[in-house]
Amino acid sequence: MDFLPALVIALPLLGGALALPLRRLGERGRIIVLVALAVASMLGVYALLPGVLRGEPRMLSLVHFAPQVELYLRVDAMGAMYAATVVTLFLLALVYSAGYLRRGGHETRYYAFFMLSLAWMLGVAFAGNLVTLLVFYELFSILAYPLVVHDETPEAIRAGTKYIIYILVGGSLILLGVIFAFHLAGDMPLTPGGILDPGSDRTLLLVTFWCLVAGFGVKAALMPLHGWVPDVHPAAPASFSALLSGVMVATGCFGILRVIFEVFGVELVTALGVAPVLTVLAAISVLLAAILAAGEDNLKRRLAWSTISQMAYVVLAVSLLAPRVTAGALVHISNHAFMKGTLFFCAGLLASQAGIRRVSEMAGAARRMPLTMAAFTVAALGIVGVPPLAGFISKWVMGVGMLEAGHPLVLIVLLGGALLAALYLLQPVWMAYFRSPDETAPERLRPEAPPSTLVPIMLAAALSGLLGLAATTPGLPLALAERAAAAFFGSVAGGGPP
Amino acid sequence: MEGSAIEVVDLRIVLAPALSLACALLIFAFGRRDLWRAVFALSASVLKLAIVLSMLPGSLAGTVYVYELVDFPPGIGIVFRADGLGMFFALVSSTLWVVTTVYAIGYLQGAHERVRFFGFFALCVSTTVGLAFAENLLTLFLFYELLTICTYPLVIHDETPEAMKAGRKYLAYTLSGGVAVLLGVVLVQDLAGTLTLAEPGILSLEAGRPMLLLAFVVLVAGFGVKAAIMPLHGWLPTAMVAPVPVSALLHAVAVVKAGVFGLLRVIYNIFGVELLGVLGYTHWLAVFAGFTIIAASVMALAQTHLKLRLAYSTVSQLSYIVLAASLLTPLAALAAIAHIANQAFAKITMFFVAGAVQRTTGRTQIHELAGLGRVMPWTMGAFTIAALSFIAVPLFAGFVTKWFLCLGALQAGEWWWVLLMVASSLLNAAYWLPILYLAWFREPRGLPRGVREARALLLAPTLVSAAYVLLLGMTARVPGMPFSLAQAAVRFVTGI
Repeated sequence: MDFLPALVIALPLLGGALALPLRRLGERGRIIVLVALAVASMLGVYALLPGVLRGEPRMLSLVHFAPQVELYLRVDAMGAMYAATVVTLFLLALVYSAGYLRRGGHETRYYAFFMLSLAWMLGVAFAGNLVTLLVFYELFSILAYPLVVHDETPEAIRAGTKYIIYILVGGSLILLGVIFAFHLAGDMPLTPGGILDPGSDRTLLLVTFWCLVAGFGVKAALMPLHGWVPDVHPAAPASFSALLSGVMVATGCFGILRVIFEVFGVELVTALGVAPVLTVLAAISVLLAAILAAGEDNLKRRLAWSTISQMAYVVLAVSLLAPRVTAGALVHISNHAFMKGTLFFCAGLLASQAGIRRVSEMAGAARRMPLTMAAFTVAALGIVGVPPLAGFISKWVMGVGMLEAGHPLVLIVLLGGALLAALYLLQPVWMAYFRSPDETAPERLRPEAPPSTLVPIMLAAALSGLLGLAATTPGLPLALAERAAAAFFGSVAGGGPP
Repeated sequence: MEGSAIEVVDLRIVLAPALSLACALLIFAFGRRDLWRAVFALSASVLKLAIVLSMLPGSLAGTVYVYELVDFPPGIGIVFRADGLGMFFALVSSTLWVVTTVYAIGYLQGAHERVRFFGFFALCVSTTVGLAFAENLLTLFLFYELLTICTYPLVIHDETPEAMKAGRKYLAYTLSGGVAVLLGVVLVQDLAGTLTLAEPGILSLEAGRPMLLLAFVVLVAGFGVKAAIMPLHGWLPTAMVAPVPVSALLHAVAVVKAGVFGLLRVIYNIFGVELLGVLGYTHWLAVFAGFTIIAASVMALAQTHLKLRLAYSTVSQLSYIVLAASLLTPLAALAAIAHIANQAFAKITMFFVAGAVQRTTGRTQIHELAGLGRVMPWTMGAFTIAALSFIAVPLFAGFVTKWFLCLGALQAGEWWWVLLMVASSLLNAAYWLPILYLAWFREPRGLPRGVREARALLLAPTLVSAAYVLLLGMTARVPGMPFSLAQAAVRFVTGI
């Protein structure tokens, strides 16, 4: 059973390799096999959760691919939580893709790289040392390019070029950071409390920290490194932009969390005095991105700005270096994934079924596509933070944590972000339900979307509700996040549900 | 020297070059028939690989094979000795030779003067392994010069005016380099009283700084010609007129690597890490190498002809090895030696692809590659693997080099080289990724109907070497892979 972490990564890898030969089974046969592989991988990840909750860490050294450099997997609470989020959302997106993708495009390429992306992301989640993290992170960043440019429209190609430039520069910064860390600490597994010697050269420590944080910050869309997000999300197919927003941007946050808590450790970060800088940067991102979202008419771009704002919450919360607020940040990664995934799924259907790409065109959309808009509404309310939806839980835990840590000003930023979210997300909802459709618009032939796309949307929306209502159930993100935070701060003081 | 090495007199070490030499002679004598020629050419490379492989287990266990051929000139002699570094070079070059021979047989079908081509091709096989196993600097020099002469007929194979001109330029550069090396050999003999490459350094400070500096400069400049350190790189892009298998050989295996190998011998076995640490000459060499890495990449960016872009990329990649060697730290030495293999396999893959594309579609310009991924997926897939290796994506061979080179630079306390490596990776991305984009994400245009994948004889070697690029990146720990030999070599030269 100790090979389980390797197995859950290998299954989607196999799917990626099989995407081409499986063409023989036809579209339907192929998607069934791929879904089966993704489900198997998901069950594997879920099977890891009880052990994690009991506090039994699993380690697995995969390959020593050079002396002192090994591919090393480790399952901890944060990784397991993130992996469960990733694999679930990927599965939903895979089912959604089957109904959403236009036939006759480059579906084989899409499915192959889609499954590979899943494998690399699970690798990131279970990476047990910096080299492994770097390996999987780089692979999935670079090999996501075919998914970004899938439509091969001029905008998609331009967005793809922008994406690859940002990613390569970010990746180089991470590589620099990893090399410096390796030089300082040698081949150490990631350890709560940090692996770097506080007595090392302070300048080198600072350089290492900022290289790593800036590198991951590109992916996390931390302003001013966010440039690729608003262009890439609208250009990618909706099934993939749901993943980009839901889990890929979060990978950057995930990396920053690993760096702060398991490379440097809370004490060293405090001693270096870098956390306040991060707080300020994140606070600016939260508010500025939300304002820009409110001013954006293109629906998918608005959602992309919203992602920048929401993911900055995570960095904002983590930079306070207190246990409860960290648990909240972790939960937010998971909750946001499902809510934002739902929104992008819906945006994709609105565009493909009704030709609606702008918020101003959404008048009366709820009459045409009631189920889609219902899911959209649930997810939008969730992101705003209406109880008892998932977004409320994460914001509540973060908010309480901020007060506990003695940062009421930061709490105001959080609430400001939520207010702005209400402004930019409830406006489309209001348009869809309470504005009558433009009478001159021709009636569409296909009012509601096909079931294969509606089912994943409904499931994702249901998860957004469930993660709020049943938040305290063991095995759901909150319990895992609390365990992870407790490990990072070396105690269980931050534990316990609010 | 370290006492752990056991020296064993073994005939195999002479057999390796001698059998290839015999095959070369057979080709010249009986090579008119296609079948016989193919048999001899293949057996020259396969036999050599088999012999090298048979020595591998012993070599990994620490045995050093030696054999003295003739004691001429008296006291120095033509002596062979297979230590870690030599075995590494021999293993890499003989592995590559097998695939290149298969490829050349496929590529040159119907070309003119095939007897001459394959005869000299097999001679190069023989010379390179002799160079790898040279026990002293004189033997090394002998084979180094022989290699120049054996490759000349290959460079001018097409016998067009440009080819002849390129051949002249090639000879002018390499023979001048050879003269410089000869001067260095004489100087070293005079200063140290010996030319052996079996010690981690034979010169000492007693020789006096001016003479040491002179010896270092002439040896480095001499070997630097073939290693294409700027400003001595001029012959390499010009020699691109040669047929593709020859370019592959010049660029990936024999000629340039002979230069690099000579440099490594000078740094690790003639001067020694300790002495150079005191003298500090390698700081300057590192500056030249660093400049070459960046400047050649920028020039590669400006090329529109695929083979020329490959040529400048070679110039840049070779200087990784020079830079790593001049850092003088154990991890950097590991990077230097490992990169001989990593660069070779990735670059030969690219040349094979360039040749397969040219043979199949007649295209040589980069912009003409649009959409070829749809038409020739396997060929372009191999190219993709090689390109990702040069960009140093993890799990590919190039990453191993970059990783150890950066750590080696930090070990030496010179962090700026790390920045340079990162910049070089980005430059590599800037000139390889657009090609991948063209090949995979554009529609093919203007191709005649029915153009499909390259022929099996061209495709199979390409795929084998591409697979090796992946293998080198992922299985560095496996004993018997080149990396384990590199480690053995590093243990010897740095005494750790």
